[in-house]
Amino acid sequence: MDKKFCLFFMLSLFIVFLSVSLVNCGPNAQNKEQVKSIKVWHWMSDREDAFLELAEIYEKETGVKINFELYAPSDAYTQKVRAAAQTNTLPDIFGILGEKRDFASFVKSGYVYDLTEDMDRDLGSWKNKLFAKALAVNEFEQANSSGVKPGIYGVPIDVTNIQMLYNKDLLRGAGVDASRPPKTWKELIEINEKLKAKGMQGLVSGWGEIWMIDCFASNYAFNIMGKDKVLDTIRGKVPYTDPDWIRVFDLFREMRDEGMLASGIVTMVNKTAEQLFANNRAAFAFNGSWCVNVYKGMNPDLNYGVMLPPQASDKYPMTIWGGAGSSFMVNKQSKEVQLAVDFLKWITDAPQQIFLSKETQDLPSNKYSLKDIPMVLSQFANAMDNTTHPNVWGVSESPLVIEAFDKGIQSIIIGEKTPQQLGSEIQAIKEREMKKK
Amino acid sequence: MKERAKYKIERFLKDSVIHILLIIVSIGCLFPLLWMVSSSLKTQQTIFSDMSIFPKNPMWGNFYLAWTKGGFGMYFLNSMFYTVTVVFGIVIIASLAAFAFSRLKFPGKNILFYMFLAAMMIPLPGSFVPLYVLMTKLHLVNTRIGYILCMINVGLSFSIYLLKIFFDKMPVELEDAARIDGCSRLGIWWNMALPLAKPAIAVIVIFNSLNVWNEYILATLIFSSKNLMPLQRGLMIFQGIHITEYSLLMAGMTITTLPIILVYLIMQRHIIKGITTGVIVG
Repeated sequence: MDKKFCLFFMLSLFIVFLSVSLVNCGPNAQNKEQVKSIKVWHWMSDREDAFLELAEIYEKETGVKINFELYAPSDAYTQKVRAAAQTNTLPDIFGILGEKRDFASFVKSGYVYDLTEDMDRDLGSWKNKLFAKALAVNEFEQANSSGVKPGIYGVPIDVTNIQMLYNKDLLRGAGVDASRPPKTWKELIEINEKLKAKGMQGLVSGWGEIWMIDCFASNYAFNIMGKDKVLDTIRGKVPYTDPDWIRVFDLFREMRDEGMLASGIVTMVNKTAEQLFANNRAAFAFNGSWCVNVYKGMNPDLNYGVMLPPQASDKYPMTIWGGAGSSFMVNKQSKEVQLAVDFLKWITDAPQQIFLSKETQDLPSNKYSLKDIPMVLSQFANAMDNTTHPNVWGVSESPLVIEAFDKGIQSIIIGEKTPQQLGSEIQAIKEREMKKK
Repeated sequence: MKERAKYKIERFLKDSVIHILLIIVSIGCLFPLLWMVSSSLKTQQTIFSDMSIFPKNPMWGNFYLAWTKGGFGMYFLNSMFYTVTVVFGIVIIASLAAFAFSRLKFPGKNILFYMFLAAMMIPLPGSFVPLYVLMTKLHLVNTRIGYILCMINVGLSFSIYLLKIFFDKMPVELEDAARIDGCSRLGIWWNMALPLAKPAIAVIVIFNSLNVWNEYILATLIFSSKNLMPLQRGLMIFQGIHITEYSLLMAGMTITTLPIILVYLIMQRHIIKGITTGVIVG
């Protein structure tokens, strides 16, 4: 063997040595601290700084160290949480992303601590300060279809809802009183006429992401026929050919015929829709409360307000989609359950919620913190009582029916189908799905 | 004369079509890079309103901000370390294994080799949970060595396959000559097989460097300490749930792309040679 070979093996040894020495620099080699601490896993990269600041304050106040660990994007986080659950290495506090059935499987496997007792203690002082609709997302009711023991299993740290936004400058430019946004469907159509006359675009939304169409249509279904009838439709007791459903579909036909919708809306992703609204290129938008943060980044001077979608009927109140934004759960297997619960209580207190809201532009989950947050956020939060979400309906529509429903509405918008045709088509699929059951 | 002119026109037309096609492909490849650099010089507002490739007021400060806000200094060193050690480990282990599969006779050789090939078919996300379980049992979670071993494991199958094909083509006479000259098996691998396999090794180096440099999901799974994370972790800072700081993200991406472009430029000559000598085709 020549010198080169020796050099090569020396280099190999050096790298192995370096690896081993760096391993010892890792946290496993750290001295075990005597300080009480809890570990929190989260995926909210835009809240990392705010969380770290709160952790510092909490440590000063209580002596308990909070180690926030960020794993983003959400896909990577989900993988991490699932893998950790399988090896029983979940942290003290974590979040579960995905459908309610994923949440249920974690609870049933014994990874999530039941917070009901803590919530109800002292006449429900903790529970009462949180938006009920946000708690509902983390709650399993009696005789729930997942078979989970009834109780509250998560704490919302923020809430969200989806409403309509209006551009005050554009409305003024079209001769509309911007302090009085439309409250009824008729008013919306009238304003749209004025906007059209000035060559301005009416409504923009990311209806290429079909869940947003589902959300818009569902709002009007609740408004036109009420919650019970909507749920009865899902149960198969009311057909989609019912005149009330045809009226819901007809609203989309009307918007198309009135030239209210932005061109290309059925293929538009929400990011593009946000960009158009932020750049003053549409007078109305249908978007979630997260848009406050997005518009601030895209155009800090955007002059806009928040409104409930204008009512198409005065029979039932306008109901919008909303609920918990992000929630934290306590690991039932953790040795520090009480410390984790105490921290969650603290972070959902008004001062912390106001701080988080100001820093991150998210809606607070504490309903007593609304007066101290930015105006546009409190406008969003004020409508939390009007919110609902498919996750809390207790019944769920077949995915095939939902797909036919959403894509059918897209077809109405591009003039391929009539509301009556769509109603019959969805009903046919619904009946087929019901037979399968 | 007429035929010569016809030939010239034909050749000109053929060349033009080929060049136009190549230009289109090049634009397709280069435009995203150009857009990335251009966006890195804009502000969060102008990124959505200014569609020009060359912004009027370039924001050079974005690079500094991305570097400091994303904590790139520490992540950069980590990524360099992981890339060098993993690629080094893969080249050594894969070349030894491939040499053994190609030149040695031992029981179960084919089964073992096909098992390595089969491992190539398993996508990385599919092995996340088993890997995590294994790492936890070995107490290697949240350690550099755990991540390095996983990444070496990820890159081995393809590299062994590539090198085995290369070694299979190596003339037996060369090996015999080396043996007559007194070379041991390890000596043949070191003095003959490895230098001859330079083009294949270049392909392995670039392929695995790219893979390790851009890897993030496995790192998220293995590491819980921020100090151990690779460069991609820095980029995630700019991607919120609902909002992305595009200008800083693009500046960060420009920074992360540079070293890998450099590796490619250095290895380019060998890669082309590797491909043209039939390394990939076999």
